[in-house]
Amino acid sequence: MEKQYSIQVKDAEKYFKLYRDKSRELKERILFRSRNKYEKRYVLRGISFDIKPGESVGLIGRNGCGKSTTLKLLTRILRPNSGEVVVNGRVSSLIELGAGFHPDMSGRENIYINASIFGLKRSDVDKRIDDIIKFSELEEVIDNPVRTYSSGMYMRLGFSVAINVDADVLLIDEILAVGDVNFQRKCFDRLREVKANGTTIVIVSHDMNQLYDLCDRMIWIEEGLIREDGEAHTVGEHYLQMMEEERLARG
Amino acid sequence: MIERIKEIWQYRYMIASLVRRELRGRYKGSVLGFLWTFINPLCQVVVYTIVFSVIMRSNLDKFYMFAVTGMIPWLFFDGSMRVGVGCVRFQGDMINKIYFPREVLPIACCTTNFVNMLFGFIIVFIALFVSGLGVNAIALAFLPLIMLIQYVMVLGFTMIVSSVNVYFKDLEHIVNVIMMMWIYLTPILYPITIVPEKLLWLFKLNPMTFVIESYHSVLYWKNPPTINILAYSSAGAIVVFLAGVLVFSRLEPNFAEEL
Repeated sequence: MEKQYSIQVKDAEKYFKLYRDKSRELKERILFRSRNKYEKRYVLRGISFDIKPGESVGLIGRNGCGKSTTLKLLTRILRPNSGEVVVNGRVSSLIELGAGFHPDMSGRENIYINASIFGLKRSDVDKRIDDIIKFSELEEVIDNPVRTYSSGMYMRLGFSVAINVDADVLLIDEILAVGDVNFQRKCFDRLREVKANGTTIVIVSHDMNQLYDLCDRMIWIEEGLIREDGEAHTVGEHYLQMMEEERLARG
Repeated sequence: MIERIKEIWQYRYMIASLVRRELRGRYKGSVLGFLWTFINPLCQVVVYTIVFSVIMRSNLDKFYMFAVTGMIPWLFFDGSMRVGVGCVRFQGDMINKIYFPREVLPIACCTTNFVNMLFGFIIVFIALFVSGLGVNAIALAFLPLIMLIQYVMVLGFTMIVSSVNVYFKDLEHIVNVIMMMWIYLTPILYPITIVPEKLLWLFKLNPMTFVIESYHSVLYWKNPPTINILAYSSAGAIVVFLAGVLVFSRLEPNFAEEL
């Protein structure tokens, strides 16, 4: 596939195995063989899109439509059952912040560990560590073990690392519940900067204002298929319209 | 395959920091801290030495040196298997949240135990000189090669157990039982020469036999390992490693869904 795209998704399908009653023990497995049967529950029924470098794209749709699964395919945490997903360049994800933190180690040590998961070497982290700590506003507690942090501090540290690794592609899932109002605003400003620097961004959110603010393009996913893909405001309006109609119909 | 290796290479910093985390995190908060890295193997060696040189007497000269030179490498294998079997499953959290080549986990686990073995070798070398056994430089030149062979083999085994354990959790308990038996089916605490003829085939099927024999040869008997021993142990390492790669790459795509 050509490199002119940052992300290419082609006919990606994803289902999860839904066991009616999965037997775990050997005895049960032998006695009730039929219980090991499963249904395929399709989450994505073949979606395709290409994203060019520097584009920022919002994924919208109702709960359970497959947005987050799409994002997980892009991170390569999940693999499609069929079709193809190609992402070029270094990927950083703001999906689950602070995964891999070691509770007994200090915030500073965890920055090194976490950044290495994104592929950064120690000397690269050395250069950025001050920025990361400053951004997180955790200067005073950075050498305490992270188990002593509040959940907000934990998230802030995770966000600061993920946003500072100079990724080519940034994947974001409903993260903007990080920290207090001021910190959220700071995160947003930072995202705009990152976008201006030419990073490709894919973001999942229910907050349309945030999306309008950040995205040029939106992809609306409905029941595992792409319903509409185009200019952010156009797609956003159509989506809101449908949701509103539905709400009225339900009455 | 080549792509995969390249990718894992890109993640070498992650491996390094996981190893560092493991080495430093394990004893964090304990009073003796990092000293446990030495105390643990030392105690094991003391126990086996007492049992085998005082109670069940062995007629090997300086038996405790025979035991130490076999035990320290064995503990590398033993540790990698017992910890490694859960190294993917217990990182389910990370696997579900971030992408990285999953091979990183067993590699980091083996490397941690390998580094522990290197620390253990400080004890071995001190003991070699204190006991008056000394070293033979030519034989010693083979030590890095033997370690490499063992590393490849241990990694292969760890990749197998860590990936299968995601789907079959009983393996954690099975590995514990197997390791308990395996130590006695490997000539660590007795020379292979006293193994009865009719059981010898079992020892020859055991790839660890040749690895431990190499260590004994180089450190205890002070002879370079024979070509045969080297050939058998390398062949064993390659077979186990390839099996590990095959099993792991088959099972790895669904880790996130299973965990």
